[in-house]
Amino acid sequence: MVNGWMAFSRDLQEQLPLVLNGLIETLNLTVAISISGLLLGVVVFYLSTCRSALIRQVTKGYISFFIGMPLIVLLFLIYYGLPQWGVRMSPFTVAFIGFTLNVAAYNAAYLTTAFNGMDATELEAAHAQGFSDGQVFRYITLPQVLRLSVPALTNQVIGNLKDSSVAFLIQYTEFFARVQELAATNFQFFKAYLFAALVYLAIVSLIVVIARMIEKRICIIG
Amino acid sequence: MALIEIRELEKRFNDQRVLAGVNLDVEAGEIKVVMGPSGCGKSTLLRCLNRLVDPTSGTIHFDGQEVTGPMVDVRLLRQKIGFVFQQFALYRHLSVLDNVTLGLRKLQKLRKPDAEEKAMAQLERLGMAAHKDKFPAQISGGQKQRVALARALAMDPAMIVLDEPTSALDPVMCREVGELIRQLNSEGVTMLCVTHDIDLAQAISEKAVFLNQGVVSAEATFAALANHDHEATRTFFNRTKA
Repeated sequence: MVNGWMAFSRDLQEQLPLVLNGLIETLNLTVAISISGLLLGVVVFYLSTCRSALIRQVTKGYISFFIGMPLIVLLFLIYYGLPQWGVRMSPFTVAFIGFTLNVAAYNAAYLTTAFNGMDATELEAAHAQGFSDGQVFRYITLPQVLRLSVPALTNQVIGNLKDSSVAFLIQYTEFFARVQELAATNFQFFKAYLFAALVYLAIVSLIVVIARMIEKRICIIG
Repeated sequence: MALIEIRELEKRFNDQRVLAGVNLDVEAGEIKVVMGPSGCGKSTLLRCLNRLVDPTSGTIHFDGQEVTGPMVDVRLLRQKIGFVFQQFALYRHLSVLDNVTLGLRKLQKLRKPDAEEKAMAQLERLGMAAHKDKFPAQISGGQKQRVALARALAMDPAMIVLDEPTSALDPVMCREVGELIRQLNSEGVTMLCVTHDIDLAQAISEKAVFLNQGVVSAEATFAALANHDHEATRTFFNRTKA
């Protein structure tokens, strides 16, 4: 048993540069899709509050489609399916696009939930003051729904970190892919995956701490 | 010429005729009280003035200009009519001061210091200067309505429109807001107030307009309304019988 741990830690040290590299790739993808997913989510949410019934229907369809579609299917479709049509992209690009479409749908749904809980008379008051639809969205709706959605949005960031491990299935050599390689060299599967679990937990804890700080800073008093 | 002239104003929602030919004038500097039972179209009438609701037919002249046509700059019109709501409708994510400055900065394009100076002048006028950094959830209902009035007044509107300004307030706060409305009117602010609070109505005006089933059925002093020929009017205003 002790020998097993020693062998594992020796291999880990040997492959540490690769593992760290994988970790950086994981964080890269997580940060990128968290930002792009939030931005696209805000756009989708904005369109879902639009006056045009057609645009509202289309955005509703978008949200249902991407929430309903398993992420792995979407990633395989883009990575393995599109090349048949001559469209080839790097694993990172595919993961970025696939995750962004998916995460934006979830974020838009969270923002919509917060929007439904808003006081409609505040929006009416803003229109009565003479603000345009865009100004009402920018100055009243968005600041309120973003603040109300901080818990849901940070949960999504945690989800993004965890789900990013799926990207190794489309040849994206992120952290989990490197841990797989590590496990394959010494067959210490339990130790390798336990190590992976602890690293993910540590990063998630960090995100939670940051999220609580953000929540405290920008919460709406009342 | 009156500041506001409403003629034969009609609003239908599907089959329902909420306003059925309303005629009403509001003179500059006066305070006009419109009363009526719930669902008589009071709120719809106010919302037609600034086009939050588009009337089905009829005309509204505001300061001599027709405002119901398609060519009207609705946003400019709205900036000239200060709207105060029953539920206060303060922006909850903004402090008292920011509630007042938002319109000044984003609509009137004032620089922040100028906007704050103007806002503070109104907050002082309404006795809310000391609360400028508080958030809506931290002040009482009466105070919220003061802030809502300050927010409306800061935009230098041609008139203030009040939609049931006291119906979410307790009796003490009602009187407080009533006194405030009278004070502002004595300072020259034109006001149109719809309410079914007869105490408020009598506190701010000698007369009232009675809106019933989508039409103005009477406009007279409270004493005259209480002894009106029309039964619904008499019943509404005759408090001893009720």
